[in-house]
Amino acid sequence: MKINPVYKKELKISVRTVKMAFIIFFYNLLLAIIGLFAFYLSFEESAMYGGIDYSNMLSIYTTIAVLEICLVLFIVPGFTSSSITGERERQTLEILLTTKLKPIEIVLGKLGSSISSLLLLVFSSLPILAISFAVGGIRFIDLLQLMLLAIVIAVFIGSIGIFFSTIARKTTSATVFTYGTVIALILGTAAIVFAAYLLISFKMGKQYASVGVYNPPDVGNLILILLVNPIVTMIAMITDQFGNYSEFSKILSEYGKGNSTIIENWFAVSVILQLVLSAVFILGAAKFLNPLRKRRRGNSKE
Amino acid sequence: MLDLENVHKNYGKVTALDGLNITISKGEIFGFVGPNGAGKTTAMKIISGLLLPDSGRVKVAGVDALKENHVLKEKIGYIPDFFGVYDNLKVNEYMEFFGSIYGMEGEKAKKLSLELLELVNLSDKAEQYVDHLSRGMKQKLCLARSLLHNPELLILDEPASGLDPRARYEMKEILKNLRQLGKTILISSHILPELAQMCTNIGVIDKGKMVMTGTVDHIFHEMESANPLVIRFTRNHERALEILKENPLADNIAIRNKSISITFKGNEEEEARLLSTFIQEGVMVSSFTREEGSLESLFMQITAKEEAEFT
Repeated sequence: MKINPVYKKELKISVRTVKMAFIIFFYNLLLAIIGLFAFYLSFEESAMYGGIDYSNMLSIYTTIAVLEICLVLFIVPGFTSSSITGERERQTLEILLTTKLKPIEIVLGKLGSSISSLLLLVFSSLPILAISFAVGGIRFIDLLQLMLLAIVIAVFIGSIGIFFSTIARKTTSATVFTYGTVIALILGTAAIVFAAYLLISFKMGKQYASVGVYNPPDVGNLILILLVNPIVTMIAMITDQFGNYSEFSKILSEYGKGNSTIIENWFAVSVILQLVLSAVFILGAAKFLNPLRKRRRGNSKE
Repeated sequence: MLDLENVHKNYGKVTALDGLNITISKGEIFGFVGPNGAGKTTAMKIISGLLLPDSGRVKVAGVDALKENHVLKEKIGYIPDFFGVYDNLKVNEYMEFFGSIYGMEGEKAKKLSLELLELVNLSDKAEQYVDHLSRGMKQKLCLARSLLHNPELLILDEPASGLDPRARYEMKEILKNLRQLGKTILISSHILPELAQMCTNIGVIDKGKMVMTGTVDHIFHEMESANPLVIRFTRNHERALEILKENPLADNIAIRNKSISITFKGNEEEEARLLSTFIQEGVMVSSFTREEGSLESLFMQITAKEEAEFT
């Protein structure tokens, strides 16, 4: 099987650097410190009050899972936003584009190598995640689901990073746009739902004052905007794993009564949507990278 | 091998190529000469499939470069005017990476890489990081890289710029070898005498148009007639001046001590006739020669003429 040459080259360059070894070391160190600290608190504090509440053990898994997803959200933009701009700044992009490589192969090679580096981080943290197994309550399938989510989020955020790396001229701009988009996905979508909720509440309050009938505020299908919010996807997954999914859907429905089928299958729909959006960003990046695409206005000169 | 027909390219209101025509036959080394901003790089990028022209036709080895971009890439080897190399790869890894793009893997790729590195005298640097190579070596590595897929047309944008004389000489020798191997080469440069030494044909581009094209001999002939004729007199140079003023082929008459410099647009026979007139009129001529010129002076004259016509 022919391996994507860009993927192979990028992986070779990144894996043999000291930087990569340091990233793996500090990533696992951070996870281990936090995991062990949570482990210590759960056992020691509970013992002080006359017994161990084993349900607290789940908080160790939650802590590590949240940390893992947050690190993915934080690290992937850094890996991917410089991928194409880096080639452009190094002045190697034009050479790649005059070779037999198709723009989509360059984009996939770059994304693949970034995801692979991240997978290395995620899999290297498996022993630390296994702390949760020490007591029980977490199944191996739950851990696999967490890994799957980490990969999906990495692909989603990574494709956004590659897209901006393709359209921006400088790495700095690409990085700013990518982190800006990540923040917009996490905080922006929540802020939109909350703002809409407040507006509707205000309207309902006025209606109650004049008519005397109170209808609870409902943002409706606008709640579905949260499907692209990786943190909400993670919450959906963890609550489902702990058997508290009804709590999650209850909180969502307090804000808006969106499509019930989607709300019931939030994790699956969210993962599929994020993968579809990833494909759109990847194809968009490949299109922008094609030097022979039709432009409305020329922007380079001799 | 290469046919550019009436190619136009504008960047907003700026015209980069204004109906450019180039024809290069197989096995030629075509020198592409022009001042900065003349449109050389734009033309080379269009030929390499890196830029879309506004109009016109581009054919490389029978392939429509604008429609069959993927086939075009197998026919060309492009070396830009900068060193596009990965500093954190070793020389052999760099070659193997580009080899793998063309489906060459394993021993075959290694063998070919070494052969090409040998061709550009870099085989002893195979295990070195690209970062440690000199500018000239990086340029030679770029050249070796561009040959990996055995392209029919090599496009070199200012390959000698920034190189020291030795590196330039080496580059010139390598290109001569490549021509012997049957490669067609399109090379742009500002170092005109060097182009003259290695090119079979030369094209002068200015403001996006080809203003002169032909074999090196043709260009040199044009250069000859463009150079001033210097006539030295021992006696009666006032009469010489009168004769020259009456001659319609003589222009730009300048008197320097006992000699007169003129732009004479005649051929060798007309030069002989002028000399004979001097002798018949009793003008004593001690020397009658064309001034030593260079490709640069011709280039300056051509582009200056274009400038005058433009304004």
